[in-house]
Amino acid sequence: MNKNPTGKTPAGMSLRAAARRRPGLRFAALVGPGTLFIVIGLLLPLLSIVVFSFWRTESYVLYADWSLDNYRTLLGQAAYRVFFLRSLITAVLVTLVCLVCGWPVAYFIARHGGRYRLLLVLLLAAPFFTGIILRIAALQGLLGPVGLINMALSLFGMPPIEALMYTPFASGLGLVYLFVPFMVTAIYLSLVNFNFELLEVAKINGARPWRAFIEITWPLNWIGTAIGMVLVFIPCLANSVTPRFLGGPNATSFGMSLSQQFGETGTWALGSAMGVFLFLASLLAILLIAPTIRLKRSGFTGTSL
Amino acid sequence: MPSPTLQLQAVTRRFGPVTAVDRTDLAIEQGEFFALLGPSGSGKTTLLRIIAGLELPDEGRVLIGGQDVTDLPPYRRNVGMVFQNFLLFPHKTVAENIVFPLRMQNAPKPRRDEQLQWVMALLRLEGLEGRYPNELSGGQQQRVALARGLIARPALLLLDEPLANLDRELRSEMEVEIRRYQKELQIPFIYVTHNQEEALTMSDRIAVMRSGRFEQIGAKTEIYTNPASAFVATFVGHANRLNARILGIEGELARIEWGGGTLLVPRPKEGASGSNVSYFVKHEDLQIDLAASAGSAHIGVNRLTGMLRDIIFKGQTANYIVALPTGEDLIVSGTPRAALARANDQVAVSWPVSVGACFPGSPP
Repeated sequence: MNKNPTGKTPAGMSLRAAARRRPGLRFAALVGPGTLFIVIGLLLPLLSIVVFSFWRTESYVLYADWSLDNYRTLLGQAAYRVFFLRSLITAVLVTLVCLVCGWPVAYFIARHGGRYRLLLVLLLAAPFFTGIILRIAALQGLLGPVGLINMALSLFGMPPIEALMYTPFASGLGLVYLFVPFMVTAIYLSLVNFNFELLEVAKINGARPWRAFIEITWPLNWIGTAIGMVLVFIPCLANSVTPRFLGGPNATSFGMSLSQQFGETGTWALGSAMGVFLFLASLLAILLIAPTIRLKRSGFTGTSL
Repeated sequence: MPSPTLQLQAVTRRFGPVTAVDRTDLAIEQGEFFALLGPSGSGKTTLLRIIAGLELPDEGRVLIGGQDVTDLPPYRRNVGMVFQNFLLFPHKTVAENIVFPLRMQNAPKPRRDEQLQWVMALLRLEGLEGRYPNELSGGQQQRVALARGLIARPALLLLDEPLANLDRELRSEMEVEIRRYQKELQIPFIYVTHNQEEALTMSDRIAVMRSGRFEQIGAKTEIYTNPASAFVATFVGHANRLNARILGIEGELARIEWGGGTLLVPRPKEGASGSNVSYFVKHEDLQIDLAASAGSAHIGVNRLTGMLRDIIFKGQTANYIVALPTGEDLIVSGTPRAALARANDQVAVSWPVSVGACFPGSPP
């Protein structure tokens, strides 16, 4: 890579001097390793999944028989459509709930956190210090039939809340719990770069608080919000953990079914097709949201205030 | 009698132990260009923010057009404001920035367009409608900010050091421009600045502020020629400060000894024979001559002799620094050819006994 057009390095010149003479060389040395890792570690597996999705599995063995059978199964069988729709609706709802819950929290921290801002953001990240399974288990201990909430209710002689026990609702609640920190962090990072004086200007110029929010705060923090939405939506769409632990029998998600193809049933080719499908769906979500981000109108290239 | 456009009644604002604005009264009439002049930390910006409604006073009332607006939020006060750092909305075009106040008032589109046309022409912004703030120069940004402040024809326009971020040439150009808009629109402007030249150039009246209180309010010529306190005398204009002791009172004049001579100066309001005073006399009130050609002192004229130490050439004027035999310096401002003197020449400095102002002061 990056061949010297003259073909060789002049004799007597050290490597360092050569790098200084030719900035391209230094650039390649800096960017090369990372690029190599991304190509080998990320793109190749993805490519192999695309290839496998057109193959066939039988008795846990992959055969290179090219066909569209897997996609036919995926689109033809009602179960997969249900799984996908369930995942899609869950992801949309969870994203919206995270948005509604996350914005006020992020706004409060950025605006009124003062010198505790960093601490508050770190607190948000505290759940990450444990593991995802542990956090889900903790949630099970809170929501389940013998969990804190229903136990407390039964102590007072009240019936347990059915919706909390192994339902798609509980699964969604778990997702919100898992992903709301991402949303808050993304919005917070946007808000710390936001000049709150602009809100005073808006108010002097006749904008009521909610109008000032819609006109100024929201559009100028849309990038952070959009990133937060993507960070929540895409993992939620692929999610397989919360329905397994919290969802009960009627919460099987697309991601859960996908992981079963690679585990219990061993139908890797179909699983690969599901992976490709999921990848395309995520890509579509990003393509839908990308045009709404107009750098010129984001304030990112705005005046230095 | 119509009520003044803006009235402040005993307005006070404290930040913890600091009283930023201290029982301030003020009345501003329609069509007036009013400057709030003071060093940083004197409370002038806080006062402006109280008028705008961005800050609530702890005590006192704010009236706009006779109506008590003390408890009204900024968006219901009908005031415009221009900030030092422009604060344009970076995601909106010039036109969108300017019509923002009218959109917030839900003004119909035809009226918005009409007003936009008018204000773009007034501020000479035609052709920039579609640009974004980061594509404008500092002066253009400032004009857009002014246009946004003016488009809704507010009851008054508040300006918080609007020229501080502009370079010098542009600043003096904008000083004249802003005064022109004000005279054309007949909307009162309240202009906060720490720059006395800006305040003197643009305004009709000036309030000199210090530690949350007005030291003096008056027409700018009044402030300049008749400072009410030692603080105003140092802050407005460029003055020599002479610290001395009163030797005797002669009618409206006081006799002091300073710089190797006996001087007659306007008598301070209080202070009898023997008390310490500070006498302020502006650089340009002094006259410089070669000692040899000056002849002897006249009645009604103070005269000191010394050595010309340096000439600071400033273009239109020059500052002559005269070292007196007692070790003090006097600065005389004049045309660069006011005296044919050169450095190290013996010179005489003279001025009429009636000019300057005298205040009780520290010991010499």
